[in-house]
Amino acid sequence: MELLECKRLCKEFDGKKILKDINLTIPKGKIIGLLGKNGAGKSTFIKLVNDLLTPTSGEILINGKKPGVDSKEIIAYLPERTYLDKEMTIKQAINYFEEFYSNFNSEKAKKLLKDLNLDINTKIAKMSKGMQEKLQLILVMSRTAELYILDEPLGGVDPATRDYILDTILSNFSDGASVIISTHLISDIERILDEVIFMNNGEIALTSSADELRNSEKSSIDDIFRRYFKC
Amino acid sequence: MLGKLLKYDLKWVYKVVSVFYILSLFFSVTGRLLNNIENSVVFSAITQFTFGFAIAMMASSLINCLMRLWARFIRNLYKDESYLTHTIPVEKKTIFLSKVLSAGITVFTTAIVIIVCLFICYYSKENLQVLKSMLEVTASTYDTTIVNLLLLMAFVFFLEVMFMILIGYVGIILGHKSNRNKMVKTILIGFALYMLTQFVTLGVVFIFGLFNQNVMNLVNTTDIVNMETIKLVMTGGIGLYAVYIAFYYWLGKKAFQKGVNVE
Repeated sequence: MELLECKRLCKEFDGKKILKDINLTIPKGKIIGLLGKNGAGKSTFIKLVNDLLTPTSGEILINGKKPGVDSKEIIAYLPERTYLDKEMTIKQAINYFEEFYSNFNSEKAKKLLKDLNLDINTKIAKMSKGMQEKLQLILVMSRTAELYILDEPLGGVDPATRDYILDTILSNFSDGASVIISTHLISDIERILDEVIFMNNGEIALTSSADELRNSEKSSIDDIFRRYFKC
Repeated sequence: MLGKLLKYDLKWVYKVVSVFYILSLFFSVTGRLLNNIENSVVFSAITQFTFGFAIAMMASSLINCLMRLWARFIRNLYKDESYLTHTIPVEKKTIFLSKVLSAGITVFTTAIVIIVCLFICYYSKENLQVLKSMLEVTASTYDTTIVNLLLLMAFVFFLEVMFMILIGYVGIILGHKSNRNKMVKTILIGFALYMLTQFVTLGVVFIFGLFNQNVMNLVNTTDIVNMETIKLVMTGGIGLYAVYIAFYYWLGKKAFQKGVNVE
């Protein structure tokens, strides 16, 4: 059974098709780059998988089941916006995750926060946006999930922070889990990808193993992407 | 999971509403103490101001309670925080139930605080006597005591507020199904549902009147209505509110379970 399977998935907003007939399978144990220009439908696809949007038609199956309690138990999702209650302290946010996610490792989260020199009694509202995003990343990566979905984790951050984010992802995702990373900053993540999915205008334009694609096109995925989506 | 959700929902609402509870109690007690100290004009004026503040704080407790319940619903289920709420492994019906229960609990405590504050402000043997004489006739019509009548009135108030909150919740759910002008649609749908329910109430009274001339007289004559009819209509009204609350809970739950489209 595939970890994630989409069959003829469509999403419309006010009659405009944002996702068109998406057929896709995500296997276990892979790091997948969901690549596409802004507005290609990457975030819409991710929101549908996470039950934040309702499909217009088609089906999404996670471990053979529709999005629901079981899928949320095994998916660790990092959205592109800050979603924590800003009135909470870091400690309270950790407690929240501990209470609702049975696979959350609070000790791991505290250790990662200590590496960042963050005091767990700090109020989230008093943290910079960048630090809030790092906190969210730590909370998400402290779960022992089967599928990590990271929506634009590198968006709008400096190169040093990008390295920190990638290192945190790579050194903390559970064995045998899959990771979907949505981004258009391909050069930064190219080295870690097992597979790539190109999205364009709400459609899957290409799916391939990262190595096979590089070998067949004799160039980096970043170059292939630039050629593919040349304006 | 319901208990955990409820804990966070209640904490969020009480964080501000409890401040108004404290202020209501503070001004009530202060007003009462000032009232007992001296009978000078200045003190009397200050006392009246203090009682005025107490009443304003009581009204604010209720208004803030309602507003924060609706704000929590929108923020937690449709704004940034919804990205967390909808991805925790909890059924949608449990999330909705938590919002409804938190509404019930906070409205109940607000009503208790208001009653206690009113008691602190205005309790005296004379006032009690006035209240007794006002309610005695009505209480005897219902074959009940004044205390039971007051409890019944508090219950009707509770039902009315819960009905309004649920209409608001359903308006938010349906209004946020669309992709544009969500807040405008939320308000319009909430208002339309409220008006529709009032028309249904009139319809029910009319249909009932077809079988009961006394009830029909409420609609088409200016005759003085007898107490038995008032009792019948009041009892029917409580029943109707209970039905509406159950219906809007069911409708909200159904619509919410069908899925969301967060911003």
